[in-house]
Amino acid sequence: MAVDERKLSDARKLSDARKSGFGLGLLKGMAVTLKHLFKHNTVIQYPDEKQDLPPRTRGVIALKEENCTVCMLCARECPDWCIYIDSHKETLPPKRAGGRPRKRNVLDRFAIDYSLCMYCGICVEVCPYDALFWSREFEYSEYDIRQLTHEKERLADWMTTVLPPPELEQGADLPGQPAAAAASATVEATGARPANLTSSAVEARPEQAATAPREGSFTTEPARPASSLPPQEQKRETSPEDAQPAPGLDTEVKAAQGLPGATTQPEPEVTLGAGRAAESVTQPADTAQVGSDATSAPEGQPPQKTPSVAAEPAVTAAEPVSQAGLRNLGGQAPVARPSTEPAGVAEDPEAAYRRVLQEQASRGSSPQVAEARAKVARVKAERGMARTATPAPATAPVQSAPQATPTEPEPSGAPEAQGPAPEPGPVAPTADEDRTDG
Amino acid sequence: MPEIALTAWQILLVKVLVILTIVPVGALAGGYAEHKVMAHLQHRLGPMYPGGFHGWATTLADGLKFLYKEDIVPDAADRKVFSLAPAAIFVPVLMIYLVIPIDRNLIVEDLDVGIFYLLAVGSISTIGVLMAGWSSANKYALIGALRSAAQLIAYELPIVLSAAVVAMYAGSLSVIDIVEKQNFPFAIWPPGIGLIAFLVFTTGAVAEMTRVPFDMPVAESEIITGPFTEYTGMRYIFSHMFAEMGHMVAFAGIGVTLFLGGYKPIIPWSPLEVVPGVIWFGLKFALMIFLFLWIRPTFPRVREDQLQKFAWKFLIPVSLVLVLAMGAWVLYV
Repeated sequence: MAVDERKLSDARKLSDARKSGFGLGLLKGMAVTLKHLFKHNTVIQYPDEKQDLPPRTRGVIALKEENCTVCMLCARECPDWCIYIDSHKETLPPKRAGGRPRKRNVLDRFAIDYSLCMYCGICVEVCPYDALFWSREFEYSEYDIRQLTHEKERLADWMTTVLPPPELEQGADLPGQPAAAAASATVEATGARPANLTSSAVEARPEQAATAPREGSFTTEPARPASSLPPQEQKRETSPEDAQPAPGLDTEVKAAQGLPGATTQPEPEVTLGAGRAAESVTQPADTAQVGSDATSAPEGQPPQKTPSVAAEPAVTAAEPVSQAGLRNLGGQAPVARPSTEPAGVAEDPEAAYRRVLQEQASRGSSPQVAEARAKVARVKAERGMARTATPAPATAPVQSAPQATPTEPEPSGAPEAQGPAPEPGPVAPTADEDRTDG
Repeated sequence: MPEIALTAWQILLVKVLVILTIVPVGALAGGYAEHKVMAHLQHRLGPMYPGGFHGWATTLADGLKFLYKEDIVPDAADRKVFSLAPAAIFVPVLMIYLVIPIDRNLIVEDLDVGIFYLLAVGSISTIGVLMAGWSSANKYALIGALRSAAQLIAYELPIVLSAAVVAMYAGSLSVIDIVEKQNFPFAIWPPGIGLIAFLVFTTGAVAEMTRVPFDMPVAESEIITGPFTEYTGMRYIFSHMFAEMGHMVAFAGIGVTLFLGGYKPIIPWSPLEVVPGVIWFGLKFALMIFLFLWIRPTFPRVREDQLQKFAWKFLIPVSLVLVLAMGAWVLYV
């Protein structure tokens, strides 16, 4: 019935249009085309002129090789099976005597066959370490279909064409930050935070520290007062996304890349508010230690002012680092001390083990995961104790063996110095632990 | 200035050579105009590269390309007829130009029976089209040729009748006389009759050229340029491209001569007389060409039966009425 009604009304409209006058329709049509004759022509003459494509254009996929952990997620998720990954495992010597040899995946081949790729972008979405990016480039046609398989060198070359990630919107939650925690922070910690709001800014920082785990640049400061940075810097710091711009961006960005890592602790333990207070007591000491080993020994240990409250560590623990910090900061101005840990205080390994086990249980982790993380915590606590027992001398020689390995933090290029995965703690993969000797 | 004594034959030779140059050049220019005007009417740019500046050499390059193409005659084709057909199509188009007055004295031959000659010669190409279609031994070519013949017959009548209306008004068949008689362009005066006659003529002309929307005979999407399907290289451009373009230029010239006052100013006003007749002719000519080009991207193709109905049931009666009205005008006004 309804259809009939519609047909009827269509027919009526048509007959009305016809009634309007013989030949008028023809004139109307001629008027339309004539109008277009005088309109400004919007044709873009492609090979000569190029359109400014939207930032999220799906042109080609670029690989940031140093971020890739060979987790194979992209290859497995690819609907076309057009990603080829080969790798092998390397065993690295322990960082210090009695340590456990570390294992690390080394990427041998990463290739995308663009003759199969359907540009769905699932691999980019699924990559947990931000190793794949969309680039706007699209001119890579070839005469030979085999040339369309881009090996990792070519994929890495595309990185130079990747745009920096867009700014966060005003008031947006930090990526990787649980919504509840963000809500508890009184001020949105994203972009527009004024530089003088020290306390709220600092409030936001421990979370940042907790959720942005890397140990690439410990010697920068977890506790640096946020207000000591220009607002722009803060913005960069607080959005882990910003930690992965394309290589070849200006050095300022590179320097900023190192920063989020500075605030970090190893991933598994610290994620949410409950664990944070305790963590900030135990863990940073450890990480600061490792960092100092990796770079230069002296400033791991010196006594620091101890923040009384975990949520307020940043304000007080500021002590300029002379040299090691500069390495990771790319020559930035004086930075604060890395550690929030009260000097000389270390948690009992067994206590740490039990605590983490409980935490994990209360978070609903599986028993295996809980146990693994608890063990990691115990080992860390042991090392922390060992180190506090024997402070490193100021002139201690830098350990050489781990330095040479690719796991060593590099100012901007090495994987650890790169921005952390946006995921919060719960996802922390054990492979990552292996790799980073957490 | 010394008198150059030329015999009648020499003069004729020069004139013919001029025509032989003008028509292909006009066809090339018309082709380029068609590309560009149509493109802009459709919000495109059209050719931009050949020749450098806005692709001015596009049709030249096209023609050159066709020159290099292999000349293929199908096995089953009637070889002689197949080879002659392009000439049978193109030569009559050339002959139309003989009686188009570009200025009072710029005409190859002012025949006493100018209009009669125009219309007679203009219809000869139909035979060429039929030859092409039949000799190709191709069903598309045959269908196209028959459609073309049917269409040319149907639309020749409105053209002839509307031209007859002009001849009645002028009281002469000579094109020069007809132009001289028009103080105002015929399309304006006598009111109504002239305009309708002009529209009928334009419609018929578009159909004669088998241009959109009356391009059923050469519909490329269903019968693949109809009678010219089997033609390649130079034969193809002479039978199709040059013929269509030449036809368009010729019909524009006829339209200007018969309905727009030819080389005379738009209104009989002495300051306008200063402008040479060639300029006036050129302006009106450009207007006519633009009209043809304008129609093409605007309208969709008409179905074969609609096309025939429109000619026999509408255009021909209308032009018959026009003849009657003109007779009354001549008698009583």
